[in-house]
Amino acid sequence: MTSERTITWTWLVLVAITLGSWWLAPAHSRGVASASVVVTCVVLGLALIKARLIIRNFMEVRSAPGWLKLATDAWLGVLVVSVLVIYLI
Amino acid sequence: MTVSEQTSRREVHVPGDGHMWVMVLGDLVIFGGYFIVFMIYRSMNPDAFLAAQQHLNITIGVVNTVILLTSSWFVARAVLCVRGGDPDRAVRLLWGGAVCGAAFMVLKCYEWFREIVAGQTNSDMFYSFYYVITGVHLIHVLMGLIVLGVLVRELRNPGRRRLSLVESGATYWHMVDLLWVIIFALLYVMR
Repeated sequence: MTSERTITWTWLVLVAITLGSWWLAPAHSRGVASASVVVTCVVLGLALIKARLIIRNFMEVRSAPGWLKLATDAWLGVLVVSVLVIYLI
Repeated sequence: MTVSEQTSRREVHVPGDGHMWVMVLGDLVIFGGYFIVFMIYRSMNPDAFLAAQQHLNITIGVVNTVILLTSSWFVARAVLCVRGGDPDRAVRLLWGGAVCGAAFMVLKCYEWFREIVAGQTNSDMFYSFYYVITGVHLIHVLMGLIVLGVLVRELRNPGRRRLSLVESGATYWHMVDLLWVIIFALLYVMR
């Protein structure tokens, strides 16, 4: 079962990653922002980590049966890979 | 079955009601579809999407993300309190989550107002996605607030305290947070 400590650490990591996104965003740069494969890959990677932390630790899928772990991971994996492939082609 | 009996039942367990998970997984698939369609349109005109995206206020986006993450932090701890037999603290934590959720809605409305006044309307493809996706998400936040209200009411009545109901409500609330994290990445941050 999840402990209060795990939940608070999860929250701190999620907030830290979000604040890190601040300076990656195009609205932050003056003038015209240019497309960046590196930034997009980092952003998608961070979103994947955040989403999985929420699913596993907040939604408590960590201690859920295998089918639920598989279903949520499959959703996240298919989504992130599809977004990346559409972006790159 | 009492709360403590339910807790000690087994280590592996579905948090909340199975029907809630069917709804949550269904909702995730539907939103996943929105995200894929957004990406397809974006890939047809990446420069225009990037230029339009630059008008978004990243600070509001970041603050709103932190607000929603914090609301989930409150709600996740409320579940632990119910399990640990402290419904009064659970109610206070749920209130904390609800206040954050309401703050998210207020800030989102302000953000829309700002964008509309600045002339960013549905006529732009990026903004038509922005208003639809964040709008549908906002409706989910509103439904989540109603769910949190129901949980508070049930927890206040000693005869109606059910752990599975609290877990189900929390699962729904975390889904709202989960979807926002993806929306934030796709609409605000990616280039």
